[in-house]
Amino acid sequence: MTNLTRSAQYRPISTVRYGRGETPWYRRNAFLLGALAVVVIFGVLLPEPGSAARWTKVLLGAFALCTVAWAALFLSDVKKPEWSKTVVAFALLGLGLFLFWRYADAEWERLGHVFFNWQLMSEPLQGGYTGWTVLRDGLWLTVQLAVLSMFFSTLVGLLLAVFRSFNNPVLNLFIIMYIDFFRSMPIIVLMMLIYYALPFTGLRLSPLASGVLALTLNSAAYVSEIFRAGILSVKHGQIEASRALGLNAMQTMRMVILPQAFRVVLPPLASNYVASAKDTAICSTITLLELLKSAMQIQAFHANPTALVAATVIYVLLLVPLTRLAGVLETRMKSRRSTAR
Amino acid sequence: MIEVVDLHKHFKDLHVLKGISTTVTRGEVVAIMGPSGGGKSTFLRCMNRLEEPTSGKIIVEGVDITSPYVDINKVRTEIGMVFQLFNLFPHLSVIDNIKLAPVNVRKISAKEATDRGMALLEKVGLVHKANAFPDQLSGGQQQRVAIARALAMQPQIMFFDEPTSALDPEMIGEVLDVMRTLAGEGMTMVVVSHEMGFIREAADRILMLADGFLIEEGAPREIFSHPKHTRTQEFLGKIL
Repeated sequence: MTNLTRSAQYRPISTVRYGRGETPWYRRNAFLLGALAVVVIFGVLLPEPGSAARWTKVLLGAFALCTVAWAALFLSDVKKPEWSKTVVAFALLGLGLFLFWRYADAEWERLGHVFFNWQLMSEPLQGGYTGWTVLRDGLWLTVQLAVLSMFFSTLVGLLLAVFRSFNNPVLNLFIIMYIDFFRSMPIIVLMMLIYYALPFTGLRLSPLASGVLALTLNSAAYVSEIFRAGILSVKHGQIEASRALGLNAMQTMRMVILPQAFRVVLPPLASNYVASAKDTAICSTITLLELLKSAMQIQAFHANPTALVAATVIYVLLLVPLTRLAGVLETRMKSRRSTAR
Repeated sequence: MIEVVDLHKHFKDLHVLKGISTTVTRGEVVAIMGPSGGGKSTFLRCMNRLEEPTSGKIIVEGVDITSPYVDINKVRTEIGMVFQLFNLFPHLSVIDNIKLAPVNVRKISAKEATDRGMALLEKVGLVHKANAFPDQLSGGQQQRVAIARALAMQPQIMFFDEPTSALDPEMIGEVLDVMRTLAGEGMTMVVVSHEMGFIREAADRILMLADGFLIEEGAPREIFSHPKHTRTQEFLGKIL
């Protein structure tokens, strides 16, 4: 027993480095409230925008610094409740945006007139269309392209991954050639080849079919790698148990491996779908009037980029729910115990 | 029932099984023992071709399973296997785990499979867990479900690959009880295990495997009290 106490150098825990557990003076509520009051007074005294005084920028910088310092103190405090920290964080963001809006020399009205001119969008174009209806038709085409290519690429990708799991060298050779080729070929080139060059071999596809085919061929290469990773992630013992029960390779794949691989593949698959949906814009090169091309046409007609802003918003509104849906599905799968420990 | 003739197994350069020959008769409980790395699990797994033998013959109920033309899935329906790490299907409930193979391989109706499954769960004492998922069960419970799952196919032979090696000491007993009951009912069993108590009581024959050789074979009474080979004596000296 004596050996233990003698070999350990006995040293008191340094209070200088670790603190005594009391609240330091800069985290005390009194100090924080006082500092906040100073910051607020400072803010009230801020000059009008556009004032020529040299000290405007200095004052602004100092104010911003004080605010950020105060926020940093507050947000790094472990004892403050989470909801208050969320409020402070958003308030800080709001303040930053407000300062930018007030003091940046932007011509906000003019900006709105150029980029956010919704009224212009509702004006009639030729043939009884308005900007919004043209976008709507373009959106419908984009949706068709995206949904069809997602569906077929998932199917083909899954088949390729399953075939690869057979470990047949000849089959693997062809599959790897496919994957390497279509991952390296730019989609725009592929699309043009299918639409403009393929007819020379007697195979003439409609623009929509060409677009879907090109998108599918490209996406399937990525999807098959995703599924292959998912399949490999299933523990080998699962396959052994399944085969030992007498289930054949197809049954094992269908009933044991794929259900477990599904949860693993969902996040990368969702990213792949989002990328795929954005790639539909490339179809504009083969005469398809999808969302982006429609927006560009309206822009050309009005010489005003509001249509592009609208198209961006539509893309975001469409794709964010898709990614959130994937996230929700993933959480639901987690609670259903889909993988072996 | 099973006849193994001069079985060799190589893992690349490693010669794991060096000419094992033995037979297992119906109703026999055979225990495979020996030091780590001796080839016990490999030997068991060769017998239902979860490992591919490099050379040699294995004949199960008259079927040469080492032949390239054999339908191994059919043979595997007659051999039930219980693994060290349970290998239950985590995305299925306990009863679905048990029903999966009978419905899809033996092609019996779902209702009949459920009835059979519930009867087996009663046998292993886990009826109340029929709708639970594997990750809600303890190790001992999972292993008992695994045994029920293997029994659901009504196999002629049961293989056990170190069934209690991954269990807490408290749970080993419940699994061994089930295995003892099975042995008592006359099931042909091949068990790789270190559980001396169980082997002494339930085994009819012990195979001692060391360094890939079958160094000794005999009834538990003989092997435990009068081991002939020096390696056997060393091994038993360490664990008994």
